[in-house]
Amino acid sequence: MSKLSFRARALDAAKPLPIYRNKDLPDLNDCVSINRAVPQMPTGMEKEEESEHHLQRAISAQSVFREKKENMVIPVPEAESNITYYDRLYKGELRIPKQLFHIQPLGLDNEQPDYDMDSEDEILLNRLNRKMEIKPIQFETMVDRLEKASTNQMVTITEAKLLLNEDDYLLKAVYDYWVRKRKNCRGPSLIPLIKLEKRDGSTNNDAYVAFRRRTEKMQTRKNRKNDEASYEKMLKLRREFSRTVTILEMIKRREKSKRELLHLTLEVVEKRYQMGDFTGEVLSEVTAPLAEKPVYTVPITVTNGNRHNHKAEIKIKSGGLPYHGYHHVSVKDEDPFDFVRPKKKYTRREPLCRPGRPAKRQHIVNKADIKQYDFHSSGEEDYPLSPTSEPDEENDPDGTFAFRRKAGCHYLPCLDQTSGLLWDHPELAGLDALRHRQSLTALSVPQRCVGLARRRVGRGGRVLLDRASSDLDGVLKQLDSGVFSSSFPKGLSDPQVPTQNHRTMPGSASSLTDLLSNIQALRWRFFRPRSTQGDGSGEGRTGRPSMDNRLSGGLFVHTKNSGSGELLLNPIVKTAGSTDCIISKTLDSAGAHFAASAVISAPGQVNNENKPDNTSVNGVVQPLGTSRPPHSTSTSQGGTGLDRSGRTPSSCGPLLPASHSTTPQSLPNHRGHGSAVSPAHHHHNARPSPSSLKLATMATSSLDRVPKVTPAISSMARDNHEPERLALNGISETTVPMEVT
Amino acid sequence: MCRCVPSTFINIHFQYIFFRQVDVIEGCRLPVLRKNQENEDEWPLAEILSVKEIPGRKLYYVHYIDFNKRLDEWVTPERLDMKKLQFPKKEAKTPTKNGLPGSRPSSPEREVPQAQQKCLPTKTSIPDFQVLQQQVQPPTITVHLCFDFLSPLFKSSQNGTARRPMPNQPGRKRKQPPNCGGTDEDSQDSSDGIPSAPRMTGSLVSDRSHDDIVTRMKNIDCIELGRHRLKPWYFSPYPQELTTLPILYLCEFCLKYLKSLKCLQRHLTKCNLRHPPGNEIYRKGTISFFEIDGRKNKTYSQNLCLLAKCFLDHKTLYYDTDPFLFYVMTEYDSKGFHIVGYFSKEKESTEDYNVACILTLPPYQRRGYGKLLIEFSYELSKVEGKTGTPEKPLSDLGLLSYRSYWSQTILEILMDLKPDNGERPQITINEISEITSVKKEDVISTLQYLNLINYYKGQYILTLSEDIVEGHERAMQKRHLPIDPKCLHFTPKDWSKRGKW
Repeated sequence: MSKLSFRARALDAAKPLPIYRNKDLPDLNDCVSINRAVPQMPTGMEKEEESEHHLQRAISAQSVFREKKENMVIPVPEAESNITYYDRLYKGELRIPKQLFHIQPLGLDNEQPDYDMDSEDEILLNRLNRKMEIKPIQFETMVDRLEKASTNQMVTITEAKLLLNEDDYLLKAVYDYWVRKRKNCRGPSLIPLIKLEKRDGSTNNDAYVAFRRRTEKMQTRKNRKNDEASYEKMLKLRREFSRTVTILEMIKRREKSKRELLHLTLEVVEKRYQMGDFTGEVLSEVTAPLAEKPVYTVPITVTNGNRHNHKAEIKIKSGGLPYHGYHHVSVKDEDPFDFVRPKKKYTRREPLCRPGRPAKRQHIVNKADIKQYDFHSSGEEDYPLSPTSEPDEENDPDGTFAFRRKAGCHYLPCLDQTSGLLWDHPELAGLDALRHRQSLTALSVPQRCVGLARRRVGRGGRVLLDRASSDLDGVLKQLDSGVFSSSFPKGLSDPQVPTQNHRTMPGSASSLTDLLSNIQALRWRFFRPRSTQGDGSGEGRTGRPSMDNRLSGGLFVHTKNSGSGELLLNPIVKTAGSTDCIISKTLDSAGAHFAASAVISAPGQVNNENKPDNTSVNGVVQPLGTSRPPHSTSTSQGGTGLDRSGRTPSSCGPLLPASHSTTPQSLPNHRGHGSAVSPAHHHHNARPSPSSLKLATMATSSLDRVPKVTPAISSMARDNHEPERLALNGISETTVPMEVT
Repeated sequence: MCRCVPSTFINIHFQYIFFRQVDVIEGCRLPVLRKNQENEDEWPLAEILSVKEIPGRKLYYVHYIDFNKRLDEWVTPERLDMKKLQFPKKEAKTPTKNGLPGSRPSSPEREVPQAQQKCLPTKTSIPDFQVLQQQVQPPTITVHLCFDFLSPLFKSSQNGTARRPMPNQPGRKRKQPPNCGGTDEDSQDSSDGIPSAPRMTGSLVSDRSHDDIVTRMKNIDCIELGRHRLKPWYFSPYPQELTTLPILYLCEFCLKYLKSLKCLQRHLTKCNLRHPPGNEIYRKGTISFFEIDGRKNKTYSQNLCLLAKCFLDHKTLYYDTDPFLFYVMTEYDSKGFHIVGYFSKEKESTEDYNVACILTLPPYQRRGYGKLLIEFSYELSKVEGKTGTPEKPLSDLGLLSYRSYWSQTILEILMDLKPDNGERPQITINEISEITSVKKEDVISTLQYLNLINYYKGQYILTLSEDIVEGHERAMQKRHLPIDPKCLHFTPKDWSKRGKW
């Protein structure tokens, strides 16, 4: 047995086992004990029962005798098999069919009553049969129906009548008998039935309750466990998809309406062009009655997605509405030229945008628009009353100085002045080049001319003048603003409209006389205080913003070249003559932006010059006496407002085309003309300024009057500027040296 | 508390036993007279499971310790050996001090264990026997008596605890999750939310958690089925009002239960069945097999289950019959196709079961029908191309039948193997399993049981001894009714593709 010290290998079911007869293995005894190395398989019986006396005896008997001995079998309770009445009970014979039995699926229901009559019933039946004939099956059917109808309560006699449809006497007899029998019955029913489970689980341990329903969880596969979760996810997915479909459907409708509007607008413009309604007279006549009520047909341009507009408009709706009436009167003829923001800024701001905003494109706002386009795309909430800046304020690294789109402002791509003007006119150089970017500027407090300068709006809305030195400096110094106050009759040329001569080269303006004549001929832009308004002079204070109520604010002049310190300039402000046509076009030094606020000039205020491209500059349109919220310390002139609302580095003053600028053709030509005011890099003042509100209302009112034309124009303007946008960034960078902050 | 019983009180108790008729209560153990197969008197130890009083006398339901429950019966007081009466240990439901389980391994849990004990003196004053032994009393006659009737108890309990591991403590069973079978379905079932519901797969209960006093006792006295009167072996949940009947009548063909012969007579006028209400999938000679879908033919399936439960201890009727197919074996005569036995089978088994419950009705037992049923179940598995095994636990008769079938089937293969051009014949266990459709584990256990596997010269071999060969040859001569696969008309269905069975 020393061999047994090694461990036998496990039995491998895949390994062939050679079969030996015992007689072939004389040394088999050596192996016997090893047999134990194979683990004993369980018998599959319950341990408790495995040890039962009779089983053990039977097993041992089998292993000894290799067959069951009669007395070694497991005893079972006896069974009898001599039912004598069997043949009487089971009548008839069955011949075995040749075919195998195949049960018919519906063959089992033969509507036999489940109730079987007992001998007690037989007595009743015999008694009844004396009076009338009743078959056992009939009786059984009656009892069966009564039983099955009384699940919880026994049926009443009236119910039984309905149920059984039998002769009254029979029914009464059977019913009474049934009631009596059922009361004596120990079981719940006269038809013995297996106890059914109760839903409340009280029968869970009742030994007599059998065949319980399996709960739904019966499963043979275990990987179905997360089916429920998957199902819910699918449901959710489906909901969201159907919502997407709805949104897309609505977008489709919106875009269709927009297209239609565009076509209509275009038509109006064409018609107006054909009738020569360049002044907008006809249009205002036509639209005047419409202005009384909200015009719903005015939507607007398709300038590239101003995603903030939606929010901004709502802001206006709430905040700007009280002023609506007023603005409506005071500012009328503004062409809604859209200012498209430079791309660069746009992308920078993008991540901070609230996600899911509908791409709202119309830029001009009126109530109708708001209503028309105010739909929610993805179920998100709008916060009409909350300040627009609020959501962004926390996120923006610039804090309160972060750029925010202004409600009602439209951001157009900056003008590529280089290409648009200088490149087009390579003959311009030196002073001329300079002149196209800067304007002659006069100050009101030290009443003198500061030479060429350009205006921009600095922090806090201060207006700064960037001066440029030129050959003319010497000459200009002699120039005194008083000269103009006398020489320019106020009524003739609207004082705030300095002029520039464009393209008609005035030759070299070398002398003061030439200069003056140039100015007088409106060939040179000249930015000067409004002498008529006189009041402007009083408010100028160096280095401080003015708090003037009537005028929009002070201008700070940072002169870079001359270094003459800060000068406060009164802006040139148009008086409140509401019918006045204001054509202003500001262009920053880099010519970056082509910002336009639409103007339809009233007759009589049109510039003398008939050239379509003749635009007035320095357009600061500010209706006087605008009730301005007191908190506004900013210079909220129209142009400034636009600037600030633009808040782009090279955002622009308002570009006010001349009266005839409503013609699309004229638009490209305006590009080159701008004042020298350069509003560069305004990152400040995130607060929506009243000026923006005003502007929006201006736009609104203008829309009211020019419902169809403006979109076309602005869209075209945009189209024209589109290619220039790319150049913008570079240009605004080149202007950086010009900035003084 | 037993330790506090004063000795005088014990004396009073023994006097009580001595001078008055002792109340034999549930849980008591004592030798009970029964006749063995040779009709000889035996006095095996039995436990009183229930006492009932019928006019004039008392009857005791006894379970013979170490005998199968099917032999439990109602006995008259004359058959009780009162001299050797052992009272149940108090607080049997709590572990004894040495940590061993209580002394009532076979006692069922009672619904209201104490309330049924009418004899208050015995109930309250019987001390713990172990305590009693420590407090050896003065040598009075009562004390002598006391030792006399105590000794068998100690023997029994010590033997019992030593011999068999008692996994289930009776008193704690009910609190346990019902299915402790160790199968991986348990986790699945326990999440059902019905804390006491047994597992939903299979047809057998593998533990006795639902073994209360009601199910421990036979409730049907006699069943008349066709020509036969059957004495049920176990509890079956027939309608409770029928359990008091002396005879429960069943329709032989539809198996409907009826309370009287008159009812059966009436029923037979309406019942046209002369064969089980299913598709006949096998017929050879007088033997036929009918396949019944437990979902499509609920009434018959339930009736069949109720009948089968009378003879299958571990069968559970807790759930409906939907996931099962029933294969009913019948024997034809001029009256019809009489049920001989049946086996049920899960439509989809997660554990390779090819049989759930299997039963040869007692009148047909020990005549080879059981083996025929088993053989048929493996024929079905062969058609399905699977190996299979019967659901566990097996009963004693089931184990013997299956072992016998497996032994004969495997031996037949081994003995038929002829030497292959001089080489010694050899076969793998997997091959045997494939040929027979007997699951590999069952093949191994059979080879072990027959002592055929031996380790010889570094490898396992199968050895056939002479007595094995002879025994097998004798057994095969007696096997008269093999299943003929050619007569089987059976196409397996893929139940997994049918949704819910």
